[in-house]
Amino acid sequence: VRVFDLGRVPWLESQLLYHAMPRVGVEGLVILAPAEPYVCIGRHQDPFQEIDLEACRRRGLPVFRREVGGGAVYLDGAQVFFQVVLHRDSPAARGGTEALYRRMLAPVAAAYGDLGVPSRYRPVNDVVTTDGRKVSGTGAAEIGDFIVLVGNLIEDFDYDTMVSVLRVPDEKFRGKVYRSMHENLTTLRRETGRSFAWGEMTGALVRRFAEELGPLEPAALPAEVRAEAARLEPVLTGPEWFARAGRRTSVEREVRIAGDVQLTQRVHKAPGGLVRSIVEVKDARVVHVSLSGDFFCYPGEGLAGLEDALAGTPLARLEQALASFFAAGRLVVPGVGIPDWLAVLGAA
Amino acid sequence: MAAIGKWEFPDDLAYTAEHVWVRVEGTTATVGLSAFGTELSGQIVFVEAPRVGRAVAVGEPFMSLESGKWVGRIKSPVAGTIAEANEELEWESATVNADPYGKGWLAKITLADPPDLSGLMKPGTPAFEAFIAAERQKYGT
Repeated sequence: VRVFDLGRVPWLESQLLYHAMPRVGVEGLVILAPAEPYVCIGRHQDPFQEIDLEACRRRGLPVFRREVGGGAVYLDGAQVFFQVVLHRDSPAARGGTEALYRRMLAPVAAAYGDLGVPSRYRPVNDVVTTDGRKVSGTGAAEIGDFIVLVGNLIEDFDYDTMVSVLRVPDEKFRGKVYRSMHENLTTLRRETGRSFAWGEMTGALVRRFAEELGPLEPAALPAEVRAEAARLEPVLTGPEWFARAGRRTSVEREVRIAGDVQLTQRVHKAPGGLVRSIVEVKDARVVHVSLSGDFFCYPGEGLAGLEDALAGTPLARLEQALASFFAAGRLVVPGVGIPDWLAVLGAA
Repeated sequence: MAAIGKWEFPDDLAYTAEHVWVRVEGTTATVGLSAFGTELSGQIVFVEAPRVGRAVAVGEPFMSLESGKWVGRIKSPVAGTIAEANEELEWESATVNADPYGKGWLAKITLADPPDLSGLMKPGTPAFEAFIAAERQKYGT
């Protein structure tokens, strides 16, 4: 397998090259970083739902839809990207989705360890520190007869910009996304307190990938890949590709922070009025709940008691937690029953 | 209904090597992902339905699925025109995993010509059983 260490490249090349390689039959491991920041959305996302496009325009951030899955991400030069392109019949591409993620992300976890941040692969597609915080964004796609798996080593991360470009229902939700992201996503610099040279990060990646892919031969990127990237550019930056409709959801807004952490806003119309929730869930357990809406309740401060009572509850036990809370008589909400609370909490 | 391991393969369907099933009734072919195919994919979180009226060729990718940030493509086992897409799956993608041969069907294709299914596999045959055995070894299932 050849390795193409391209250093810093124009932001658009950081996406187009790995889209071009399978189309011209070139396998390899690409390592690069974008010279300019940009926002990238997943293959099946709706940009108008996910991204505050006006905020991106004000900040001068291009927005690109990739063929790879996953969610919206802010990408910049403080992240080193790895892009593995393999023919589906290649011995290195054996196994199903989870097997391939496991084999391709184990080297990434090992590279983090080499750089001073002990990490591990966590199914299906996360690389996390030993205490479970995400350190790498990853995704994959089948393009023609090839499999493309991409991800990054995150030296540093601009949480503020990431959160500011997401489309959210209100600033309260945005604040919760920021807090959850800061708690559940970390970086090399945050963990070690130092910066890293290019060669140090890419050296660890290449060394560890070689243990899985076999000897990696440094090579120049074939000219036909660049030619194909140039041909693809108008297609993958064109309005038809960008504006494709995306995933549909019955929730108001959902942001997945990491594989096992998500923040959701829901609205439910109960007989007693409209109930709104923001729920953070981690490992199928409620972390925080905020409740509001247009309904009567007494005593007024009882709602905070309900929020406190639900924090830490496994999703599977929400119904019991609600029943015991309301049985204690600490809060009365006419016209909002347990099925309504379960609906607005996403556990109906 | 043939069963290999924990996976069922209805006898009246034909299967591609990419785990797509097809049922031909008159001039319409219904296609879906086999139970084994859903096992390899993992939990499917999104189905992008194909556009009705689109022409498809044998082996041509015509729609995509996403699971675990993985985007997979479905290749058509027959040539024709998309007559109907299961748009319910755009809201309830988990149906593909839960009921791959029923409510989880993916698309209906109006056939251009009587299809040549001779290249597809039928359950209960030694060739099919050998193929699934090889796939289980390849994918470690």
